[in-house]
Amino acid sequence: MGCGVTTSSDTGLPPGTILRGKWNGRTYRLERLLGAGSNGQVYLASSGRAACAVKIGNEPAELQAEANALMSLDRRERKRPPFLLDVDDAALQGRDVPFYAMQYVPGASVRSYLRRHGAQWFGVIGYRLLRRLAELHDSGLVFGDLKNDNVLVTDYGRLALVDYGGMTAAGRSVRQFTEIYDRGYWGAGSRTADPAYDWFAAAVLWIHVLDGKRLMSLTRTVLPQNRSPEDLMTLVRTHTALKPMESWFEKAIHGRFADSNEACDVWRACLHRTEDVPAAKIPGWITGLFVFSVALCVSAAAYLLLQL
Amino acid sequence: MNQILLITDGCSNVGESPVVAAAQALAEGITVNVAGVVDEGSIGEHGAAEIAEIARAGGGMSRIVSSRQLSQTVQMMTRQTVVGTIRQAVNQELQQLFGIESVAALPPEKRSDVVRVMEDMGETAPLRVALLIDASASMKPKLGAVTEAIRDLSLSLQARAGDSAIAVFHFPGDSDHEPCVVDSGWTDASARIESLFGRLRMRGTTPTGPALMRVVAFFRETCGKINRETERPSLPTKRDDTDGVRSDYVV
Repeated sequence: MGCGVTTSSDTGLPPGTILRGKWNGRTYRLERLLGAGSNGQVYLASSGRAACAVKIGNEPAELQAEANALMSLDRRERKRPPFLLDVDDAALQGRDVPFYAMQYVPGASVRSYLRRHGAQWFGVIGYRLLRRLAELHDSGLVFGDLKNDNVLVTDYGRLALVDYGGMTAAGRSVRQFTEIYDRGYWGAGSRTADPAYDWFAAAVLWIHVLDGKRLMSLTRTVLPQNRSPEDLMTLVRTHTALKPMESWFEKAIHGRFADSNEACDVWRACLHRTEDVPAAKIPGWITGLFVFSVALCVSAAAYLLLQL
Repeated sequence: MNQILLITDGCSNVGESPVVAAAQALAEGITVNVAGVVDEGSIGEHGAAEIAEIARAGGGMSRIVSSRQLSQTVQMMTRQTVVGTIRQAVNQELQQLFGIESVAALPPEKRSDVVRVMEDMGETAPLRVALLIDASASMKPKLGAVTEAIRDLSLSLQARAGDSAIAVFHFPGDSDHEPCVVDSGWTDASARIESLFGRLRMRGTTPTGPALMRVVAFFRETCGKINRETERPSLPTKRDDTDGVRSDYVV
């Protein structure tokens, strides 16, 4: 943080900048800055005709560690096209900078997706997220730095995880995390990577996305030594959209699922239970039609009566 | 891997120079990081300069932060220092073995392998962090944040696969020839940290230099015996009063 930051990192490199790989010889044209973090910047880039994302780092070993994580993920999930495309160095402003190229994932963060498309997508997205996490857990990995910015949602609630800097082999200490999503911060457990670490972060993600204001004020007002997972449960119980999912949250926050598949199943079960309630209600437009048709009948009858 | 983390909010005013003490620490293989905590006003030009210089002499890094940011800063500095220490050691090896100056000079495939080993070392190598807390009167309102930062750090260290321990000291000591006091010897349990500063008496002087020297001596006395330490990691190291730190000062 803060060290070795040149002016270019603050504003981003100008569009059209060319990166030429020193070892593998591939060329990338930077199109625009997608995001900047503490250890580098991510650009939308083009290589030939194909679009990709390029992450430029400040520190070769640190960037390589991330690339290693992506590599091991690609190796464990052979059925899909690889996410990591290239790892190389390029001369930029007179010095060598490390970078890697990966698949470009279009999409919006969970929160902005829900804002644009409505909160009713929360159930589907939550389910897909848990499925994706379960896949990782099945191959012995924990995502670690799960948060709003790292879950990108595209059409119809399809999603992809991005920024694998926190991905950790189960049993190791979580490599990178965000304070308010961290189980340790809330006094709810250790920072050793296990599936329950991701369940907890997923629970906080939904509180953050749907009830961000109250969550943030909680982090400001409660004294650190008094912070407890029960504070989070209180938010869940007093929020209209979260309340029906209470039993899922209870288990996620206390790490009480048998495995990640159960986390998915309980989510789905809660979801169907909540859908039953509004399903009993008749949608407004049907009611409207009904009222209209009754009125029509009555007026037709009245007309006929008057005719007689 | 040995580290000292000094948490202070101002300038030293008694005894030898903390910059010299930090240089001595580095010479003995201990990296010194410094967190300056400032909530109201500023730390002063002199204080800021001293903090930066202690860290430079001690081979570590320094940050000036508010108490809200302290936990994160302590985490970050500890982690970065572990990474830095390993990077330095690995680069040295690479230089000797292959005549290349750093990991960055390796082609990506080789680099990938070396980095994997480095990550492994970072996770598994034994780590000792001694926290040295400035308990002068002006620090009083910040001790809550300090305690939280220590708790948070010990949580992260516990998660490591390797053997890790924290020791906590505060300065000044209760009498004039007591530069600092051991609050907790090497421990890997955060439970001991919780009520650390309960009986703390705040005093006026800030003997940063002598306190640092004292912690360096503590490393020398205890860390030769890391193996014994790992067998009983949660036992506090209590010692006699031959070197100015009395066991009855353990809070």
